[in-house]
Amino acid sequence: MSSDADKHECSCGKGLTRRQFLTSAGAGALIVTASGHLGKDQEASAAVIKSGEETKITLLINGKQFQMLVEPRWSLLYVLREELGFTATKEGCGRGECGACTVLIDGMPRYACMTLAVEAEGVEITTVEGLMKGEDLGPVQKAFVEHDAFQCGYCTPGQIMAVEGLLRKEPDPTVGQIRQGVSGNLCRCGAYPHIIDAARRAAEMKKSGAL
Amino acid sequence: MNESERNIYYLRGIPVPETPPPGKDPAPWKKTDIVGTSIPRVDAYERVSGTARYPSDIHLPRMLYAAVLRCPHPHAEVMNVDTSAAEGMPGVRAVISGITSDTDFAWWYSKEIKTKIFDPLCRFEGEEVAAVAAETAYQAWDAVRAITVEYKVLPFIAEESKSLDSSSPLLHPNGNTAKTDKYSRGDVGAGFSEADIVLDETYRTECELHMPMELHGCVASWDNDRLTIWESAQGVYSIQSRIAEILGLPLSKVRVIGHYMGGGFGSKLQPGKYTVIAALLAKKTGRPVRLFLTREETFLAVGNRPPATMQLKAGVKKDGTLTALEFSCIATGGAYPANGTGLVDWLVRDLYLCPNVKTETKDVYINAGPSRPFRAPGHPQAAWALEQMMDALAEQIGMDPIELRLKNIPSFSQGREGNPPYTTTGLRECLSEGAKAFGWEQARKYSSGSKENGHVKRGVGVASALWFAGGGNPPSTAVVKLFSDGSVNLNMGASDIGTGTKTVMTMIVSEELGVKPEMVQIEYADTATTQYATPSGGSKTVPTEGPAVRAAALSVKQQLLSFAAADLKTDESSLTLRGDEVISMKDPLVKVKIHDVTGLKKRGVIVGVGYRGPNPERKVVNPFAAQFCEVEVNTMTGEVRIIRFLGCHDSGRVMNRLTYDNQVFGGITMGIGLAMTEARILDRDQTGKMVNRNLHDYKLPTSLDVPKEMKSLPIEKPDDTANTIGAKGLGEPVTIPTAAAVANAVYHAVDVRMMKTPITPLQLCQALEKGGKEGSK
Amino acid sequence: MTPGFSYRRAASIKDAVTGISEGNGRILAGGTDLLGCLRDSVFTTNMVVSITGIKELKRIDETPGGGLSIGALATITEISESPVIRERYPALAQAAAEVASPQLRNQGTIGGNLCQKPRCWYYRGEFHCLRKGGDRCYAVAGENHYHCIFGGNGCYIVHPSDTAPALIVYGAEATIAGPAGMRKVSLENFFVPPAKEVTKETVLEAGEIVTAIVLPPPLAGLKSSYRKIRSRQSWDFALAGVALALRTSNGRVTDARIVLSGAAPVPWRLVDAENALIGKVPDPDSAKYTAALSVKDAQPLKHNAYKIPLFKGLIEEEVVNISQA
Repeated sequence: MSSDADKHECSCGKGLTRRQFLTSAGAGALIVTASGHLGKDQEASAAVIKSGEETKITLLINGKQFQMLVEPRWSLLYVLREELGFTATKEGCGRGECGACTVLIDGMPRYACMTLAVEAEGVEITTVEGLMKGEDLGPVQKAFVEHDAFQCGYCTPGQIMAVEGLLRKEPDPTVGQIRQGVSGNLCRCGAYPHIIDAARRAAEMKKSGAL
Repeated sequence: MNESERNIYYLRGIPVPETPPPGKDPAPWKKTDIVGTSIPRVDAYERVSGTARYPSDIHLPRMLYAAVLRCPHPHAEVMNVDTSAAEGMPGVRAVISGITSDTDFAWWYSKEIKTKIFDPLCRFEGEEVAAVAAETAYQAWDAVRAITVEYKVLPFIAEESKSLDSSSPLLHPNGNTAKTDKYSRGDVGAGFSEADIVLDETYRTECELHMPMELHGCVASWDNDRLTIWESAQGVYSIQSRIAEILGLPLSKVRVIGHYMGGGFGSKLQPGKYTVIAALLAKKTGRPVRLFLTREETFLAVGNRPPATMQLKAGVKKDGTLTALEFSCIATGGAYPANGTGLVDWLVRDLYLCPNVKTETKDVYINAGPSRPFRAPGHPQAAWALEQMMDALAEQIGMDPIELRLKNIPSFSQGREGNPPYTTTGLRECLSEGAKAFGWEQARKYSSGSKENGHVKRGVGVASALWFAGGGNPPSTAVVKLFSDGSVNLNMGASDIGTGTKTVMTMIVSEELGVKPEMVQIEYADTATTQYATPSGGSKTVPTEGPAVRAAALSVKQQLLSFAAADLKTDESSLTLRGDEVISMKDPLVKVKIHDVTGLKKRGVIVGVGYRGPNPERKVVNPFAAQFCEVEVNTMTGEVRIIRFLGCHDSGRVMNRLTYDNQVFGGITMGIGLAMTEARILDRDQTGKMVNRNLHDYKLPTSLDVPKEMKSLPIEKPDDTANTIGAKGLGEPVTIPTAAAVANAVYHAVDVRMMKTPITPLQLCQALEKGGKEGSK
Repeated sequence: MTPGFSYRRAASIKDAVTGISEGNGRILAGGTDLLGCLRDSVFTTNMVVSITGIKELKRIDETPGGGLSIGALATITEISESPVIRERYPALAQAAAEVASPQLRNQGTIGGNLCQKPRCWYYRGEFHCLRKGGDRCYAVAGENHYHCIFGGNGCYIVHPSDTAPALIVYGAEATIAGPAGMRKVSLENFFVPPAKEVTKETVLEAGEIVTAIVLPPPLAGLKSSYRKIRSRQSWDFALAGVALALRTSNGRVTDARIVLSGAAPVPWRLVDAENALIGKVPDPDSAKYTAALSVKDAQPLKHNAYKIPLFKGLIEEEVVNISQA
């Protein structure tokens, strides 16, 4: 359901019709060979990208490389959702005040809306899609299902990534640490008690080796 | 597919409820096997995997992005709009405004006053002035910034208390009073003279914003004369009818698809101007258009809970008998008629036994965004006043606040003509059972004697509530389809706004047919393919849709049994459904597998249609509640920490305990927001602009603002008179008493009455300095 | 959505200095403040200069004299979790842990936390205020609930940083690189009050960037703490905050530092109150006395007089707490 091939086709199809440049280039996002050398040559990247111009970047998302053209001002959130079709990552404020766009960057929860896409090169980006094994849910996702840790579900991918990030750092968190860990993710439906239960459950599942 | 595989659709060995003959209402469920259990949501996978596609995720080929230019002044006339620079910018495909020819459509917040989509007179900051469609969202905003508008800035009103001053500008030709409502029963004068204690206080709740996590907006796309809209909405049919009316289209030509939506709380019951603007831009460009507002815009233009200033005078006898309540309120629905005082006096009229009640409410205009219904309109405001007053009265007569409430519990609705009885009321149990579960008596003593904690004091508080509606009502139509392999499809028009509607409806089908919940596929919230439903709001979705779904499932059962009777050459009344078989109740050897029923095989599908029947006559269906909390107040700094909360609710039958508890906690969390952190702040003395229009300055509660301990204790009284599933609404009562319970707990801790929301150190530490509980400093 | 800007990825400190010296360049580190300001058009820029690729700015190193040098790109999370900082400079670790939200702490840097723009809602909003080059401060006659009670002079912002007061109690210095080379400024003198210059928040001149914060070795026996009071328990700036450092000898205070956040346009050091504590036994009575002295010069606005009892209560409570710790 969340295969990268689907995402690729989706964004490509859109890219082809969307901008003059992409029409002539004939491709939006391309998947290049899986992992390997990453990170830009610093000298080369010291060049200025002019406002409104697009530059080619490579992002490593959920273990796959994506090459695309971006403007300097484009946020990682915009690129994930609108260019690549990773729509699990939500936009709730666009200004680092709600947490719906939380993704892991090198394993740590951060706001994709407050990260420029050009700054996201050379790091590992993980979205909710990246927690899945094929169509199977990861432990944090399973725990969220079990404990009904959401209502409308809109903040949920962000909450899940916050919990995932917390558990990668602290595999056996206390309730206090969990409350802290998700305190950068607003849930207007107020599912916090169930989110906290789910995080504890996810820690147990991870400890018992569930993947 | 072989036998055993087919069997996995059905739960084994569970007898399904009896099947009434066609046209007869089913008996109330006795013991249930599925309904009432805790099962995870049927759409949980989609929500946690990210495959749930919300309207803001919709991405159509050739889709454009739209952005809206809004008036930066609270009151101004648009003199000129120059879009020439914007039109020439990269990626811009259309610019529309009040001066372009194709935007002359009427808009109304309520029918009394019509305005335009781009009205030349802007009566609140954030009114729509122009809009752009472009290839990227960034380009759309570049173009919006390039539009120049000449405004004639007019004097404004930012406070409802000043709306009726003779020096204030008029917002509408008929004056600044939107409406005045009066109610009276008995004789309050006589009531007050009978009282041993009379108190008269003024309370205020600040304006609260809905702030669902998904922004307001839609994607609009035309196929010739047919408009399709994917909107983040609480009901697709309400969007359809309003848009069809505005654009002059037949209902059949407007398709609205809702599916997933990221919260609404009342603010998405109706479309917005954004819906019309997206449709107009899509028409003009011949391309699909996505228009979702920015967070900042949603603070200005898509509704709020009106601020209310409430005066309440109450009389009580020493034995706890309430003798009179007199309530007046001035509130504002903003710049247009928007029911700013709707239901704000209802708790005063209806919650407690009182023979003499008088209320007067006045809704006035100010230059701010129009309100929209907000989770239990009017009720949390009234609870803030009434429930603090009950506490104060109890103290004056030396009675426990729970005892005072218990002394005044009505069995009928005094606020309605003819005093109709409630079908059920669990208010007494909510208070008494809740008090037991909370450990009220011990906590009350311990807290008030908590001097040993030095300057950090503890207190406990209670508040109760009822919700005006919550019984549901017709119309609703649901369709259940039984396929020839025995699998089931449920088709209903209602939206699941996060309350678990889909899950509860699945459970009803599962209960009636014995099919496994995960084998029920739901189609919903699409005006083209699903049945008519009113929007999900008013805590009425489960009691409205549930009976229709049950009726549809029963219809399927009746038809199936009738077909099977023909195969088995027996009377259908002797048959029942068990697992994947229709079986005779007289002779277990007489049976047939569902997928072998000839009539079903021939037709391919059995379609059962169910309708919501009428509510009981001359009776009132309301949910009831009591909530309890414990707080800690730092008397040196005015910091308040909520230690624990208990929500005790009578909402009839508990359909799914897991989603039920989640609702209770969610309502409490939102109530904590009203109590502790949320308030719209307008620059009242200078510009009238809203200063805290972002989620940092307007503070929604976080995981650290809710207590570590939250508990839910359902008072489960299946309401079999109310409807065929015995459930009443839950979504709104859960947030009504919360703020008042917090205020009462703070008072208990430090003897300081919080007359205004929110309770922060801003209010509290000054009040404490003036003098709270003796010895607190 | 953010207006367009050009982008330059600096390969070195020198490169960054050159980058922002041209036009009205702005430094991008964590970006959590910069991108918000650009979105809100608090200011515009034609050039964003990213310094995130400069590795040497990320280091936290012990200095030869026993102090600590924190690179400007060290994240707030790294500071709150650093064992060295927790042990030797606990007020700094506590302050860092109170900043914003977990995600913003993972992203935001110490350099950014010190150089962030004020959080006044007029300054951040659609108001052409004094600090933005306009002709008035809207807070004077406006909604000034969260504004300053000390040091307001034409402009009434409060300084938004939690880490700054904590760094000041330890006598930290900022290392600054610029076109003219490197210089050091004590953090106490790093912030510019409106009385001096109303459109600037720091002493940074055109083309200058903060490269590191240097902490001297902690005084033996120094007790220190930071406490923050806010309306919301996460993601909120201080209504009132206090960084406190005390050293006692024979039961009497020998050294004291009290620096407030949420009080003034710059981190606000209370020298009189510090002096009043010296020589005293840090008991509840002297705490009360110190607290009262702390707010004696406060000049509240219409809606923020609550900050007087609030700071009084906070300081009294913290002096008692720290002396009992």
